[in-house]
Amino acid sequence: MLRNLLALRQIAQRTVSTTSRRNFENKVSEKQKLFQEDNGVPVHLKGGASDALLYRLTMALTVGGTAYALYQLAVAAFPKKQN
Amino acid sequence: MTHQTHAFHMVNPSPWPLTGAFSALLLTSGLVMWFHYNSATLLSLGLLANTLTMYQWWRDVIREGTYQGHHTPIVQKGLRYGMILFIVSEVFFFAGFFWAFYHSSLVPTHDLGGCWPPTGITPLNPLEVPLLNTSVLLASGVSITWAHHSLMEGKRNNMNQALLITILLGVYFTILQASEYFETSFSISDGIYGSTFFMATGFHGLHVIIGSTFLIICLLRQLNFHFTSKHHFGFEAAAWYWHFVDVVWLFLYVSIYWWGS
Repeated sequence: MLRNLLALRQIAQRTVSTTSRRNFENKVSEKQKLFQEDNGVPVHLKGGASDALLYRLTMALTVGGTAYALYQLAVAAFPKKQN
Repeated sequence: MTHQTHAFHMVNPSPWPLTGAFSALLLTSGLVMWFHYNSATLLSLGLLANTLTMYQWWRDVIREGTYQGHHTPIVQKGLRYGMILFIVSEVFFFAGFFWAFYHSSLVPTHDLGGCWPPTGITPLNPLEVPLLNTSVLLASGVSITWAHHSLMEGKRNNMNQALLITILLGVYFTILQASEYFETSFSISDGIYGSTFFMATGFHGLHVIIGSTFLIICLLRQLNFHFTSKHHFGFEAAAWYWHFVDVVWLFLYVSIYWWGS
């Protein structure tokens, strides 16, 4: 009876690698290898292609937005005369 | 391949301070466009650019610390000083709103009826939802301390549970407070009472949301094995911020909800 109980406990403990658990495996050492590669790439781009995409999107929004803000400022500064 | 002969962190050139500064321009000019010209485009652009900047800047800090090993003890000391000074600046921010409240409530003017709460204002009952909110935040202070000790003792499951409980309590507070905002018989434009009430509690609520977000990031990092039992400053910073938010609420509760009723 006790031996069965011990066996059951071992099986229960072994079922750690279910599909949901596999999402949270320790991948830190892989990331450390990627980000410590001596390739001269700055940290904000070192993760890969998606970094560059996100950077370009952010910069586009910033530059475009600034241009739009300056345009709105010009429009507000020279109001159209109404009769 | 050159190596530094000191323990400090010489960061790579980064575009995020620039995009952050310009997003602040878009946010402020966006507010002007929204208030005065009925257009939310600039404001939306600003919010998006600001959010993207924050995400990428802090993502890079995680890369520099956890993946590249730049957060030596002395660098961590600097980060600690930085977080402490930031929280001190936030204390001064809230001090202003408390000053405004006490200025108006200690010497209520004639047009308020010479009393506090002013004539016509029905304050919320401090023994109802506000008291529940107090217990929720106090409990979250306990659970985050449990999470920290579990982390230091290497008890992974306990830490995950305790941090999740802390986050859920924070979300619960936010939901309760949002429902309370609908329950008030007064609004922000109801004189000085409304102004001081909603400015102080409103900014506090925003800080609860910010703190909860910080804790959620910590949970994600913890699940991805970023923290060790000896080195987990990101979590400590979140915990300090969370305790600060709790203390501000206690002052709010005692001053505005309890004494102020």
